[in-house]
Amino acid sequence: MKNNTENFDLDAVIHELKHYLPSQTPLKDFIHHNSLHAFQHLPFYEAIFTSSAIFGHQATFNLNEYRKLYEIGRIRHEILEQAVLARKGPHDAKSWMEKALRSTQSSYTEPGIGRLRQYWKEIYRLDIDNIVQPLLFRVLCSYLDQGVAIWHFPFVDEGLIPGLRHVEKNGFTSFFKTRRARNLLFDESVTVESLLALVVGDEKLYEQYLFDQQFSHRGWAGMVSAVEDRPDTLLYPKKIALKELIFFELLLEIDAAEDELGPGWKPLAHMRPIKPVDLFAKLPLTEWHEVLMIWQDAFELNYYDEVLSALKIVRETDREEGSAPKSFQGIFCIDERECSIRRHIESVDPNCETLGAPGFFGVEFFFHPANGKFYEKLCPAPVTPKFLIREKESGGKRGHEILHSKRSHTILQGFAASLSLGVWAAFRLFRDIFSPTMGPAISDAFAHMNLSSELVIESNGETENGLQVGFTVTEMADRVENLLRGIGLSTRFAPIVYVVAHGSSSANNPHHGAHDCGACSGRPGSVNARVLAFMANNTRVRAELASRGLIIPDETQFLGALHDTASDEIAFYDEKGLNPANAASHVQNRKSFEEALNLNSKERSRRFASINTKSDIRKVREAIRRRSVSYFEPRPELGHGTNALCFVGHRNLTKGLFLDRRAFMNSYDYRTDPDGKLLLGVMRPLPPVCGGINLEYYFSRIDNQKLGAGTKLPHNVMGLIGVSNSNDGDLRPGLPLQMIEVHDPVRLLVLVEHYPEVVLKTVKSEQSLYEWFSNEWVHLVAIHPDENRYFRFSEGEFFEYKPMKGDIRLASDIHNLIESAEEMETNHILHATLENLPIHIIKK
Amino acid sequence: MNEFLPYFILVPLLGFVVNLTLPRKREAVIFWSAITTVSLHALCLLVFTISWLGNGAPDIHGEGPVLYQTRDNEFSLNFFFDRNTAVYFWVSSVLTFLVMIFSRYYMHREPGFKRFFNNVLFFYTGLSCIVFSGNLETLFIGWEIIGITSFFLIAFYRDRYLPVRNALKVVSIYRVADVFLLLGIWICHHQFGQSLSFVTWKQMFSDGVPLISEEPYRVIVPLIFLVVALVKSAQLPFSSWLPRAMEGPTTSSAIFYGSLSVHIGVFLLLRTYPLWGDILAIKILIVGFGAATALVATVIARVQSAIKSQLAYSSVAQIGLMFAEVALGWHTLALVHFAGNAFLRTYQLLVSPSVLSYLIHDQFFNFIPPQHNIRDNFAGRLKLAVYTLSIREWNLDRIMYRLLWQPLKTAGNMLEFIHLKNVLYFFLPLYAACLYFVFHRDELPVDILHNLPVGLALVSVLLILKAFVKRNEAPNAWFLVVMSQLFTAMAIAFNEQFDMFQIFMYLSGIVISTGIGYWVFSRLARAGEAITLDRFHGHSYEHPGLTRLFMLASLGMAGFPITPTFIGEDLILGHVQEHQFGLTLLISLGLILDGLAVFRIYARLFLGPHEKGYHEVAYRSS
Repeated sequence: MKNNTENFDLDAVIHELKHYLPSQTPLKDFIHHNSLHAFQHLPFYEAIFTSSAIFGHQATFNLNEYRKLYEIGRIRHEILEQAVLARKGPHDAKSWMEKALRSTQSSYTEPGIGRLRQYWKEIYRLDIDNIVQPLLFRVLCSYLDQGVAIWHFPFVDEGLIPGLRHVEKNGFTSFFKTRRARNLLFDESVTVESLLALVVGDEKLYEQYLFDQQFSHRGWAGMVSAVEDRPDTLLYPKKIALKELIFFELLLEIDAAEDELGPGWKPLAHMRPIKPVDLFAKLPLTEWHEVLMIWQDAFELNYYDEVLSALKIVRETDREEGSAPKSFQGIFCIDERECSIRRHIESVDPNCETLGAPGFFGVEFFFHPANGKFYEKLCPAPVTPKFLIREKESGGKRGHEILHSKRSHTILQGFAASLSLGVWAAFRLFRDIFSPTMGPAISDAFAHMNLSSELVIESNGETENGLQVGFTVTEMADRVENLLRGIGLSTRFAPIVYVVAHGSSSANNPHHGAHDCGACSGRPGSVNARVLAFMANNTRVRAELASRGLIIPDETQFLGALHDTASDEIAFYDEKGLNPANAASHVQNRKSFEEALNLNSKERSRRFASINTKSDIRKVREAIRRRSVSYFEPRPELGHGTNALCFVGHRNLTKGLFLDRRAFMNSYDYRTDPDGKLLLGVMRPLPPVCGGINLEYYFSRIDNQKLGAGTKLPHNVMGLIGVSNSNDGDLRPGLPLQMIEVHDPVRLLVLVEHYPEVVLKTVKSEQSLYEWFSNEWVHLVAIHPDENRYFRFSEGEFFEYKPMKGDIRLASDIHNLIESAEEMETNHILHATLENLPIHIIKK
Repeated sequence: MNEFLPYFILVPLLGFVVNLTLPRKREAVIFWSAITTVSLHALCLLVFTISWLGNGAPDIHGEGPVLYQTRDNEFSLNFFFDRNTAVYFWVSSVLTFLVMIFSRYYMHREPGFKRFFNNVLFFYTGLSCIVFSGNLETLFIGWEIIGITSFFLIAFYRDRYLPVRNALKVVSIYRVADVFLLLGIWICHHQFGQSLSFVTWKQMFSDGVPLISEEPYRVIVPLIFLVVALVKSAQLPFSSWLPRAMEGPTTSSAIFYGSLSVHIGVFLLLRTYPLWGDILAIKILIVGFGAATALVATVIARVQSAIKSQLAYSSVAQIGLMFAEVALGWHTLALVHFAGNAFLRTYQLLVSPSVLSYLIHDQFFNFIPPQHNIRDNFAGRLKLAVYTLSIREWNLDRIMYRLLWQPLKTAGNMLEFIHLKNVLYFFLPLYAACLYFVFHRDELPVDILHNLPVGLALVSVLLILKAFVKRNEAPNAWFLVVMSQLFTAMAIAFNEQFDMFQIFMYLSGIVISTGIGYWVFSRLARAGEAITLDRFHGHSYEHPGLTRLFMLASLGMAGFPITPTFIGEDLILGHVQEHQFGLTLLISLGLILDGLAVFRIYARLFLGPHEKGYHEVAYRSS
């Protein structure tokens, strides 16, 4: 809010608005991002408290909740002391301890947003939102609708306002109740400013009014803004601008006032002297804020300390890699859900090695499925690829779900449908409840690309819509080299290197994209895995790589695979290309994968009420699969819930630890990169991808109502672009309750295995990367590679941190641990946090 | 066989009562108790149906207990089983059974898990009561139960604004139907001279004996029941409540508003067919309403961009056709149509969240940009007009608001002169005077005595109107509600030979409710909570116990069948003679408003977004 005193500049205000509105795009693609991205230039606490004061959401737990977490031991006493000490120094420690534990009271102030428009009620006793919003949302949803309605909004290629003018010209009926509003619409000389003059009447208040207005329905305003910026996020293109939404809404407000108050009503500022409020004024931090900061620090440190203590203990014992030949290697996504499957496969076959890399495996492209009318982006969201991978033959077609047919909504066909399909619906209801099976209406990770489909991966110079179809040999070699060197896999290749992507199947889940691979723009990464395997197997690529000093032995073959994180199933691509020796060992390896998936199912099942973890492992596995195709299961899997750590280093660091699926794990070998040249490339995507996921979970967990989507159960699909609770309700961006209830809101801790000075130099070398750490949106620890010492980043420097917890639990039998774990009593944080198991050291 | 009929209501009622006592967090126990109830019910139904079919599917009439009896009044429970009962209850049983199983995991860890299952069971009880009812009184009990559970299911997410607002909206439309039903019962009483059971209706109809021979009641009574059916089945002009009722979890929207609840209107038409099956004009009217609804609802469904409201209007359109089918006498077709539509819409609603991925996927491979060939001529403009109108749901919601709420609010706001003070200084002494004269009638001039009932009923309506628009202290509004009830009782007392016992019955529930209400207010006030009616306070977050208690008090005050007040309501109308249209109108209006005012107080105090910001509270628009 910089324009209070100067002249009102609409474009500048709209620019500001767009900056603060939620940026979630239509739900078909789900890209995790920091929910408070608009405040990211500020230090974390200042940002969350400022945003909270403006928009009224929770920024942390409340004092009572922290104090109870302390009482139940979730925040240990010495950790709280440490947190107080770190912020207040030894001199004031005692009094701040007292404040934290007892004396400070929770305080709450009314949010700044919405105060100006409150005058509608105070002056005119008019509930303007109640009158305007239902119709406004209806028109917006009809305009942007992708295919729910049978009869579409006409004239969508002209823009909302020109389209409305066309529709209004019919002369019989109108969206408006009064002639005045309608005439204003037709008058092309009318601008947003002139409408504001009619409604508000004082230029100094315009900006505040627009913020109030658009944030009274942040869901729809954000969606319009996102579609305006990225029209390609819709398959059925719609032209719309936030300015048009504002224009239309102002017209509806004038219409409502004219209708309710009669002609002659005056702008708000003409009725009463109103002083503008600076919404974004700097927030003075109070004692209450500081105590909350201490508590949240302590809540996080309690976990971090446990992790570092466990690392310290494990590293005291020698955990060097054995020299036995590797049976196979598996490159998995860094995703924290793959953390457990890697542990299990290593336990099933101790001679295998697993590695982690971002799940697009360094190959960025658009994918054009056979017969598809569009492209899909398969790489991290900020990247814009220049390549196209085309599917020649899909080898399978998705069926049709007759019960979703829109024909049942018309009068005569609906009559026929009720009579005929009614019986079928009854049968299906039985079947889908008692014996759920995969069907066309369920999103199936394996359907993204069929097993038998053929891809065009190598370029022959063809281009399509400005994209190069396939990659040249050099381009392929670049990508393979980057990936392999980045994860430290440049020697000691096993005969088979599995490239395991992941995706997720689920039924009845509008948020299914949020369960897929974040590094693939919220889609399964199967195509990427296959493409990378193809590249690394290509003989000319290998020759080129050899010339660069990266020698892949001839007998080594790469094989793409897809792991379904919901159903715990795996599929392998191009198995026929394996040589006879590898084909034989692949048969063995498949068994290992299956065994590991059994164990993984069992580990996951401990959080699911519908499954008895102690029952036969085959039954557990089957129950896990059924969840992924059950319409009645709002938790097919738990997504990224509980994510907290991000390791950048060798797998040996974490191999001895039970991390309860809470760690992103990116392989990296400091020995192959002594001066940190590769490290920047490895670290660059981590804060936006993993940090984005982590922060979206943080905010959706801390305030599931205002920053999350609330419970899934009443959700109503709006125009195939979003969900709302009610027919008259606003869109609900953010994550639904069922995804976040297991999550402990701690910021991401990135742990890098390298010398502190190298890590420091690396993060400081790029401002956009450094901001994440310097503003404390993500925490950073350097693990000294030679000594058993740990350095924590704070205010531009690394300080040594001495882990405090001596008694890390030992687990000799993971299964016992899993079976004895208890489910949460309720999803309140006091109960939910107890479901997350402490770190255990796995006894060999 | 008829002695078994009462058990079809008792079994779910018992299950409901058992469920009430179960611990809140024991999901498995709650689920198993509920599913056992429904299974047991279905099992009984199975055995019963088989033997019923074996006997050649006769109509079965069963007499239940007599709840109240005097020389010329009888309130007894009757039961009835025929083809309609069989079809309706088979569909309801199977759907409820399946949706309950669906909900077990769907509702897992939802704070209202128990509340949900309790409401489903109570709804099921109400439905049994309607479908198995053998006379209008029994049907009315079920009707009220369904109305009240609808309120709780719509306002299931009671900490958000829109569900609570919409629950009030829907229940106020429902309330109109309730009172019309009561009116219908009242006229039938007077016409029949006693309470006739449905089996007699059917008998007389097939014998060709008109049930009501006196004009204009022969036409008025069917019209009254038609209004009731139109409301309950969301037919024109009431359709807009249905999409707004879909605020609860998808499962409850699917089973109640997708299927069972909305088809009750069709059932009522089937049941009351003997009343109007021989009147051509009524038949044409019903076909007209049904056809018009089918057409309009279809057009509205075509432009809906929200999946649940699209399904709601599709369902309404089919129900419109069912209305026509019943009126045309094609009852078998109507029953088949009902069963098919109920299953289809329930399924479609249950899986409605899937449309996002399914249709997007479909679009990815098959998208053809829709062509709009709207020309600039009359036809083109007409098309756009229908489009605009349908987006606005043909203004139905606005019409309802203008027709139902606006006049009440305006009228209430005109009553500026009624303050607590003049209630105390004027109305209380007036009441005292009346109390004296009730025992000393002969001291009053005949003219006054004659007009006194209407006058008192008018006072009652004025008071309740005021309570309805009151924006400040809740106890004052509560006081007005109580006073209004007392004046209603007084009006009746003057109307006919005074029967102390009946008045006592009517007032018994009210007295208890009044006390509980005031106790709750004082507890809230002592806790420093705001108890004004100008906004939603959401006290249920901090005071769940008081919330439950006040809910019971409200139910009692609104004449819900948990206190004798309910029977009193029926009896009171029984005392109004059939030519007293003015009095009937005023008393009916009073009863409608009484329910609305009470629910409004309950909702404003305990529901809606909690006003304290120390925890997560949803934005108003979400």
